[in-house]
Amino acid sequence: MISIKEFFDGARAGTLTALKCRQCGELAIPPREFCVACGKRDWTTAPLSGEGRVTSFTVIRVAPRRHAAAAPYAIAHVTLTEGVALLGRLVDIPLERVTLGMPVRFRLLSENGGPPAIAFGPA
Amino acid sequence: MRRVAVIGVGVTKFGKHERTSAELFASAAVDALADAEIEPRAVQSLYYGNVVGSETEKQLHMGPQAASVLGVPTIPTTRFEAACASSHAAFRHAVMEIASGVSDVVLVGGAERVLNVTTEESTEYFAYASDAMWEQTLGLTFPGVFALVARAHMAKHGTTAEQMAAVAVKNHRHGVLNPKAQFQKEITIEQVMKSPLIADPLRLYDCCPFTDGGAAVVLASEEVARTRKRAVWVLASAAASDHMLLHDKRDLSRVPVTERAAAAAYRQAGKTPADVDVVELHDCFTIAEIVATEGLGLFEPGTGGIAAEKGWTSLGGKVPVNPSGGLKAKGHPIGATGASQVAEIVTQLRGEAGPRQVDGASTGLVHTLGGNTATVLVSLLGT
Repeated sequence: MISIKEFFDGARAGTLTALKCRQCGELAIPPREFCVACGKRDWTTAPLSGEGRVTSFTVIRVAPRRHAAAAPYAIAHVTLTEGVALLGRLVDIPLERVTLGMPVRFRLLSENGGPPAIAFGPA
Repeated sequence: MRRVAVIGVGVTKFGKHERTSAELFASAAVDALADAEIEPRAVQSLYYGNVVGSETEKQLHMGPQAASVLGVPTIPTTRFEAACASSHAAFRHAVMEIASGVSDVVLVGGAERVLNVTTEESTEYFAYASDAMWEQTLGLTFPGVFALVARAHMAKHGTTAEQMAAVAVKNHRHGVLNPKAQFQKEITIEQVMKSPLIADPLRLYDCCPFTDGGAAVVLASEEVARTRKRAVWVLASAAASDHMLLHDKRDLSRVPVTERAAAAAYRQAGKTPADVDVVELHDCFTIAEIVATEGLGLFEPGTGGIAAEKGWTSLGGKVPVNPSGGLKAKGHPIGATGASQVAEIVTQLRGEAGPRQVDGASTGLVHTLGGNTATVLVSLLGT
């Protein structure tokens, strides 16, 4: 098992780590106790490259109160090369340049000392 | 299991109110009890829906509060929270209490008050229904969630912004016919397309409003319902869930949780999509109505946008969807929405919907979605 804290501690150091089911090979973003695909609880870890392509995106223009100062900003659903997906903020990509299928690479989002979060920048 | 019927419904005007959510619910419940011709002392329990009251009203323990304001403080009651599907989840559990033989008369309802806070605040509170560690930290909003669905649906099926706008135009046209609706004015495709972007590609008029309001329905056992002239039977009430996190969903163009809940409901009722005469479904955003009509089996996957554009979901169309005006025009007081949708279908099946009546409707479907497409309730009602 990998806790959320451990996942983001790794992310801070530049590494993304998924869970890999030893029974069926399914990958999962932690935390997860039982494998959704096979129902077993037999995990190992698998490093993620952090590289993927944008499978959907939006530009948030009306933001929640605590993110209002950052708006407008883009959020993308990114399918990583390993097949799992992560949601992340897009950074260092002009909003009008974002396209479906665009290659992107993981980086850490840390906004005004807020909690760590996933971001993606240009590949 | 025993048969269960709806014998009374009540809904407040939707919009801005200077009353607490408990007061709004109690007002709707008074109407529902009068409609059911049931004395308050005959009610054996209350299943209550509310979502963001702990933020907007700084209030927990809302079940006893609502029951107390209504004047039935001693009955068992619990608040249900399933994001925007809360009072439909409450409805399903109330149905099971009667079906199992525990009670004969149960009150279900919900209420929400959000227009007493700013849009930035309510946007944040609604976002609490997405994951705190993975999604809220990104600044994801509910329009943002459905914008991701819209973009995926447009890419996969060629759905257009004009087709999405057609949903808003249709629901506003229906809302004109509903005196309880928050918006009773028609809008045009051009107005939708020129409204400001909220979360690309969704614009202001693709989004339902923030709303205050309450709704209540009275459920009864067959024995009680047989003594009422206008009982409407609960043919099925099913729930399904899906991964909480959007990153665990591999194909955002589909909402499999709707497909699962619908399949379970059709199976329970022994019905198919072709049997459905009228639908109230969860159009929190225009794209949400399009994907719901597909997930419920009313239209083939990828054709929900075409159905909206062709008028197949309008009053007078193949399958009228959201004759009440839907969340878009009727309004979306999130804790009350599911119960209010049930109230509309009951009104339709009784033939009491006036100018928005679907002629001869005998089977109706209610669909309510909660959170990041993680919860769906589908109930089927019939005469």
